[in-house]
Amino acid sequence: MAFEVPKTAYSGKIKEVKLGKGDKAVTIGGESSYPFYLFEGEMPHPPRIAMEVFDTPPEDWPEAALEPFAGVTDDPVAWAKKCIDDYGAEMICLQLVSTDPNGLDRSADEAAAVVVKVAEAIDVPLIVWGTANHEKDTEVLRKVCELCEGKSLVVAPVEEGDHKRIGAAALAYHHTVAASTPIDINLAKQLNILLGNLGVPDDSLVMDPTVSGIGYGIEYCYSVMERDRMAALTQQDDKLQYPVICNVAKEVWKVKEVKVSEAEDPKMGDPRKRGILLEALSSMSLLLAGGDVLIMRHPEAIKLVREMIAELTAK
Amino acid sequence: MILIAESINIMSKTLGPAMRERNPGPIQEMARAETEAGADYLDINIGPARKAGDELMQWMVETVQAVSDLPLSLDTTNPVAMEAGLKVCKSRALINSISLQPDRLESELHFVTKYNADMIGLLWGAEGMPRDAAERGMLTADLLYRASEAGIPNESIWIDPIASPVSVEINQVKAGFEFMSMLGEMAPDCKSTVGLSNISNGTPAELRPYLNRTYLAMLMKYGLYSAIVDVFDTELVSLARAGMPEILDLVHRMMDGEKPDLASLSPKELEYAKSVRVLMGEALYSHSWLDI
Repeated sequence: MAFEVPKTAYSGKIKEVKLGKGDKAVTIGGESSYPFYLFEGEMPHPPRIAMEVFDTPPEDWPEAALEPFAGVTDDPVAWAKKCIDDYGAEMICLQLVSTDPNGLDRSADEAAAVVVKVAEAIDVPLIVWGTANHEKDTEVLRKVCELCEGKSLVVAPVEEGDHKRIGAAALAYHHTVAASTPIDINLAKQLNILLGNLGVPDDSLVMDPTVSGIGYGIEYCYSVMERDRMAALTQQDDKLQYPVICNVAKEVWKVKEVKVSEAEDPKMGDPRKRGILLEALSSMSLLLAGGDVLIMRHPEAIKLVREMIAELTAK
Repeated sequence: MILIAESINIMSKTLGPAMRERNPGPIQEMARAETEAGADYLDINIGPARKAGDELMQWMVETVQAVSDLPLSLDTTNPVAMEAGLKVCKSRALINSISLQPDRLESELHFVTKYNADMIGLLWGAEGMPRDAAERGMLTADLLYRASEAGIPNESIWIDPIASPVSVEINQVKAGFEFMSMLGEMAPDCKSTVGLSNISNGTPAELRPYLNRTYLAMLMKYGLYSAIVDVFDTELVSLARAGMPEILDLVHRMMDGEKPDLASLSPKELEYAKSVRVLMGEALYSHSWLDI
């Protein structure tokens, strides 16, 4: 008797979500199998990478991360353009670091004005990420939603504590929301239900499961994302059939193992190579767990991951 | 089904302070209320009781026995407190609980014979919580063996497979069912019990009874002998007393693989059917599990 390769029986499919608008809009999701299991199902849209731009010059980035963006880190518009023109970014994620109440605490109006400038200057999809402070994000992201009407942004993070007010603004001005929960599959499902009850349509919702990098609990993130895809694809759990977005770069580049210099700890080796590899490997791991969009930083890490995506999706 | 009332607990906002202040009023009021609500046993949970636990447990037993004739389940991790309580129990007490902690097992098993008590055998091993049904089976075998060596008959042992919250790890809930389906064959003369409310830990308070009731109904399929419960949940008590045969039938048919047409069910049946799906791992739990 000939050997037959066992196949997973899939009963569900990830919903398709279109990000941005116009020629450069990007569609994600649509998978009918586990990530890259092209021998079992389809992955009609390959995972995408959004390049990260800060709305204020980064203070704690290691040299290796700053170097590719020399000269533009004080200008979010120039920075975003450089990502697109020089590094081929197909999406931008603007991190509203300056709004952090424990940091610069920049006002909603000021922050939203910067978002508008960036949104006007680029034609690829724009993700706008707050600071996960419910009150401040509510204020800032509501303003952003309003001023960027028609830009089809992705606004994040939308959490249980602020989902009503941010969700309502996103709904009113036709933006997509990233539903963010703390590494917990049950809470992720619950927030998707709540946003659905609020009226957020299925094609305007992506999930942020909260991720970390290698060495800092990525196994937990992996398990939760894996479990999410199992429920979505094999248990017909339609409240989990949404594309997943991973805000991974800022987690990778903040850790000691990336920041420490070779002089301080010679056995750690070249810090540039170390940071790039940790970002690439963390990102790739998350793609294997079911990530649809990665928010990444270093152009070389991005290049590595793009090559892997191309190989894994080659027909 | 033997119902052990869970409400006399040091964690309670009213009874905790009453215990510490040795104020009998609120404790006796609760004991009376639980007795009237139809409890078979009253659990007295004084927690770890590190300081003067013996004095507290003795006082608690005497305080409760002054207003209720029900047998008591003594719940503390302090062996000195446990013994002090056992000494003054008028009826055959239930020791809640004894697990396979190597350093304490011998002395605790000795209480069972010395005070002619029953014991809850908590399936918690030297390495903590069992990971699956097989490990629960191994712990049961170990515990029964050690108990038998100490002269304790299986009839005195109430095995607790450990209910872990549905929102934490569904595979543990499933392992609990699988184990319960084997226990009858493994040890036919053993009894069983479960800390029922644990299943809904982490669930919003007003929704917890729905999970607790369904979980009880499911465990009844495997002949659960007793459970530690909120005895003021009248629907739960009715279920336990076989007062809801149609619901039990529905739950058990679903556990056998039947997939009822949800649209044809009454609202009450729906509560149970949706909860069964969550507890069996067919649908992923979320706080809105009853609404979708």
